[in-house]
Amino acid sequence: MSKALARRSPAQIGSAALLCAIALVWTTPFLWMVVAAFRLESGGSRDMASLLPPLQPTLENFALAFESADFAVYYLNTLLVVGGILAVQLVTISLAGYAFARLDFAGKDVLFTLFLLQLMLVPPILIVPNLTTVVRLGIYDSLLGVMAPYLASAFGTFLMRQTFKTIPRDYEEAALLDGARWWEVLWHVLLPLARPGLVAFSIVSVAAHWNEFLWPLMVVNAPEKRTLTVGLASFAAGAEGGQEWGLLAAGTLLVALPLVVAFLAFQRQFIDSFMFSGVKG
Amino acid sequence: MTRMIGTRMIGTRMIGATATALAIALLAGSASAATKIEFFFPVPVEGKLAREMGDIAKRFNAAQSDVEVVAVYTGNYDETKIKAQAAMQAGKPPAVALVSANFVLEFKLNDQIVPLDPFLAAEGTTKDQFLADFWPALHGNATVDGKLYAIPYQNSTPLLYYNADLFKAAGLDPEKPPQNWAQLIDYASKLTKKDGEQRWGLMMPSEYEYLGWLVSAFTMANGGTYYNQSYGGEVYYDAPSTLGALRFFDDAVHKYGFMPEGVTDQKAVSTSFFAGNAAMVILSTGTLSFVRENAKFAYKVAFVPGNLRNAAPIGGGSLVTFKNLPEDQRKAAWTFMKWLTTPQQLASWSRFTGYFAPRKSAYELPEMKAFTAQNPDALIALDQLQRYGQPWFATFNTVAVRKAMEDEVQAVLSGKKKPEAAVKDAQRKADEIMLPYVQSTALTVGTGG
Repeated sequence: MSKALARRSPAQIGSAALLCAIALVWTTPFLWMVVAAFRLESGGSRDMASLLPPLQPTLENFALAFESADFAVYYLNTLLVVGGILAVQLVTISLAGYAFARLDFAGKDVLFTLFLLQLMLVPPILIVPNLTTVVRLGIYDSLLGVMAPYLASAFGTFLMRQTFKTIPRDYEEAALLDGARWWEVLWHVLLPLARPGLVAFSIVSVAAHWNEFLWPLMVVNAPEKRTLTVGLASFAAGAEGGQEWGLLAAGTLLVALPLVVAFLAFQRQFIDSFMFSGVKG
Repeated sequence: MTRMIGTRMIGTRMIGATATALAIALLAGSASAATKIEFFFPVPVEGKLAREMGDIAKRFNAAQSDVEVVAVYTGNYDETKIKAQAAMQAGKPPAVALVSANFVLEFKLNDQIVPLDPFLAAEGTTKDQFLADFWPALHGNATVDGKLYAIPYQNSTPLLYYNADLFKAAGLDPEKPPQNWAQLIDYASKLTKKDGEQRWGLMMPSEYEYLGWLVSAFTMANGGTYYNQSYGGEVYYDAPSTLGALRFFDDAVHKYGFMPEGVTDQKAVSTSFFAGNAAMVILSTGTLSFVRENAKFAYKVAFVPGNLRNAAPIGGGSLVTFKNLPEDQRKAAWTFMKWLTTPQQLASWSRFTGYFAPRKSAYELPEMKAFTAQNPDALIALDQLQRYGQPWFATFNTVAVRKAMEDEVQAVLSGKKKPEAAVKDAQRKADEIMLPYVQSTALTVGTGG
């Protein structure tokens, strides 16, 4: 080990130092949030910019955050929305991706181009038409209404099509020779091999819908159906008043924590998946 | 093989999650005897206000049995507008919404809200009798074309806050705040400290929304009106009174150097004030409670200094009710709006938030008298509203027209543009945005309105 270290050139050490510096810059907002969440509010946030951990850490901000918002319900709602969207998406993108990768049908290329074009639309443009559809379906002010527009995913379909295309047809042909039907081929052969693609998509999907704010705000009215982001904003957003930094930091930490923990726990798998599928956040 | 088991497990979980989601969706929506109405509200100040608003709705629901209000938190003022308009177009208009007072005109031009005069007529009163109890400066933004479209609920104006300790240290008399722009420049320059820890003489927010409000305040203080207060298709961005206001902003940064360069948001302004890094700040009166709780030094408040006159445009929110409501909801909406705007309710919300109560009679209540006796600075803010209150900038497509000016002023504050060019470009952009409305109204002759 020490030999290996000694053999490092100054250039390598220099680049390592540079990487550390960049990492520090990137983690500073997160570090600040953690520190501020445990700091007692004093003097109208006079020391709010400090990155030094407080001498007397306090849980008061968290108590205030829990008092200001019904976090247990928000967590449950967010989990239902994120889980529900992902569950349906995995089905729809696998089937659609398979169709575009393996089946031949009239208008396939036109249809696929239309799918890709959908990626170019900015979501806020679709708020009114989507909301109208949601109202007509009778799922306004429900979590299903929050999920509805995302049950199919153009990005996911594209990703699965590309992933399936990288799998040699030999596997499928062997299964077909054994008398497997197309869905058996998809289930037993293609999907297991496409797992990194599915994982990569899942991460993007979960992170996107966990953080989504505007659409849940549009669809949901009842306080008990608020998601975490809407719930957080309901006590953190301010127009003309001041900011309670500690409370804001504690609330934000509560919202972000599950994703951070999940990322740390499955870091290796995440990175493998992204390397495999070539997806970047 | 383990892979396959893994996929199968995901499959089972998938079905489970979908079923749960469906069950929840089916459980949504249950009937009740009282007329159920939705009340959209943004959180205008900090902290626990969303919860307090929920409690207010609960108190109303407990006090009577005809109407059941669901208080729906809808983000900030802009998001509340997006949500109310989207819900309206999707066929689910909210019964009542608390909207930014300067969006009322636009809701009316879009034909989305209804006048309240018929409700008043049914009760044997008129708009003028009803408005008589509200501060005159609030009337403009509540009425369109002579009809009442909104009831003021929470209101504010800009206010000058200053650090009395720093005044003394700079040899200024804390009892004599600056009265006009000349004094403001003089004081701010004296209070600025460049060596050692930087201290600014004056700071004010220059983020979107706040900046447009303050530019209009300075323009009005400079004798202007900034926009046509009875027609939504005209602004006076390149008028001399506006140009003078922009020159003040430019000089504050680039000539006298008592204000920081670039765009400053209100959090930075209030935090700098508390930290003693800003001697004077101009912030909303809605911030008064927050300053009172957090300033650890002797702070004072004063009127925003004028140039040719004193002027303070109002801000805040008003209650409106939407079109296309079923008859029972229409009536319930009025019942709730009336209850929310009783002097008692307005006074209690005002004490909780720091906003003005829009009704004069709210200040006659014993609990309000006790409150203002304890917090005399609230009376200074109220005095400014009564003497110098002005209506709030409102046009066709208000936000875009406001941003046309804000983008230019931000360029001036950042040193990228001179005021003369900025006002011309702002005017040109604003005219483009308002053109469709202008063509369909003022430039269409003889269609009988």
